[in-house]
Amino acid sequence: MSNLEDDPSLDDLLAPSHRARLVQLLSTLSGADVELVEDPDESVSPLEFNLDTLGWLKTTLPKERHRAAIQLFELFLLYAGKYRLAANLHLDVTEASYVELQQRNAALQASEARYKKLSEQLQQQVEEQVKVIEKAQQQLYESARLRAVGQLAAGVAHEVNTPLGYIGSNLAVAGDYLDEIEAKLSLDDDLAIVFEDFRALLGESRSGAQRIAGIVLDLRTFSNIDQAEFTSCDLNALLTTACHLLQAEHHQTLSIKSHLSELPELEGHPAKLSQAFYNVLDNAAKAIDGEGVINVESRFRDGVWEINIEDNGCGMPEEVMARVFEPFFTTRSVGAGTGLGLSVARDILTAHRGSVLLRSHPGQGTCVTLCFRLD
Amino acid sequence: MANYTESENKLVIKIVYYGPAMSGKTTNLIQLHTLLRPQRKGELMVLETRDDRTLFFDMLPIGLRSATGLDLRLKLYTVPGQVQHDSTRKALLSRADGVIFVADSQLGQQDNNAIAFDNLASHLTKEGVDIEKFPMTIQYNKRDHEGVIDEALLHARWSETPWAPLILASALHGRGIVESFRQLLERLYTAVDEEYSLAVTHAIDSREFVHQLSADSGIPDE
Repeated sequence: MSNLEDDPSLDDLLAPSHRARLVQLLSTLSGADVELVEDPDESVSPLEFNLDTLGWLKTTLPKERHRAAIQLFELFLLYAGKYRLAANLHLDVTEASYVELQQRNAALQASEARYKKLSEQLQQQVEEQVKVIEKAQQQLYESARLRAVGQLAAGVAHEVNTPLGYIGSNLAVAGDYLDEIEAKLSLDDDLAIVFEDFRALLGESRSGAQRIAGIVLDLRTFSNIDQAEFTSCDLNALLTTACHLLQAEHHQTLSIKSHLSELPELEGHPAKLSQAFYNVLDNAAKAIDGEGVINVESRFRDGVWEINIEDNGCGMPEEVMARVFEPFFTTRSVGAGTGLGLSVARDILTAHRGSVLLRSHPGQGTCVTLCFRLD
Repeated sequence: MANYTESENKLVIKIVYYGPAMSGKTTNLIQLHTLLRPQRKGELMVLETRDDRTLFFDMLPIGLRSATGLDLRLKLYTVPGQVQHDSTRKALLSRADGVIFVADSQLGQQDNNAIAFDNLASHLTKEGVDIEKFPMTIQYNKRDHEGVIDEALLHARWSETPWAPLILASALHGRGIVESFRQLLERLYTAVDEEYSLAVTHAIDSREFVHQLSADSGIPDE
């Protein structure tokens, strides 16, 4: 690079106009001819700057005054040279500093890009962690809910069972008493109609009490108060219970067709399995909206338990299907669904080393297959 | 590195006086200008100072013309020692052929010596120069002051370096100045001769090189 080390020419140090003026002034001052020449001869003396001869000065002056003219000229060159060297150094330093600045700028930009990338990665990690936390929260929530439901169901079952017991037996005894009264009385036609109606009323009440007993049993099975750990489960029984509960929820208006094949027992958590079945069935019921049919099938083949729950309801498009397992994803209006049904079902299946398969077409219905594998 | 211009048969060699602030670099150059009677000697240019401290640099050109017509020039530069002039120091050190490191002997200045030497080493390394093989002379100046670092200790400290023996100087009194310069010339000759074959092509041997460039005017002023 360096301009610093260049040896300057006369032109570099003194511009021709200044040079001419200097020569003119020297001439005026000395009253003699003064002249700058390019080629030396015996009448001239060299003008030196930093050991370089930059030109020659020719005068008609006596020797001593000739020397003074030379020295004066060289003094001018010295100061012009100092200025030039300082300016060159300044230029060199400025250029070098600028290059350095650019390099630092580039390094800073690179570092900024690195930090940006790092921050993006951190953001991503945070998002992943948030997902993990959300999932754990949801599982906690679900298990707490299951426990609460279980305790509630146990309480209800206990409280309802006792009065239900004496209602049932009292109704039976009441029927016997009715027979005895009828045998001792001679009935006219009107009274006979009343008695018949009475008997029918008692009969309906008894079947009602039996239904209540069935619901209580279902609740007990569903909540599975007594079986907190893995145990042998009859999937068909759990499915049937879940269907009963769903019917109860929908006032017995659903059209559910079951084709249950004989299944070996599966090691599992009955309450959770019931919850999974119920969630899927509940979705099917909502999909058919009181008009379609829900088909429930179970079979065991090649070491795999397969439960199919199929409806001919509204179905769903692909973009919805892609998200149904996301926690809190729901297509239903706020308050109508938590968006947890299928994600909980899948988590339960995963905990049983099972899987959930979905097939659906908008307008044609949905088929959910729950598979469990033998270890 | 030395710069040879074939058309003018001119070889320019650059020597830099480096060191901490106020260690006597400019004084070294002024004394050289006074003491030396080299074959050719130019004007000492003191570019700019403030409060007696160098802002840009000083420069002294000296030279010799060999029998074969080689126009050999030495340009001796000083750098500003103050920390804030680092860019200027770097620009001046660029393409230097040799360095005389002027250290300050006063006990309180030893840290500054070390900092300046590190600074020199770092600039040379950035220039791609192997400092171990670089022609350099270490001068401990201000030996005339009270409370200076012990001489034996200094020699011991530098004895294992490629630059031993170091030179003790008192620039204000002109002592050790020419010796430092000559030691550097000897070290410089080896490097320049290797590259430009001074002895073979230009008939300049080491003795001639040192003598022509550093002939002195006799005993220094006391």
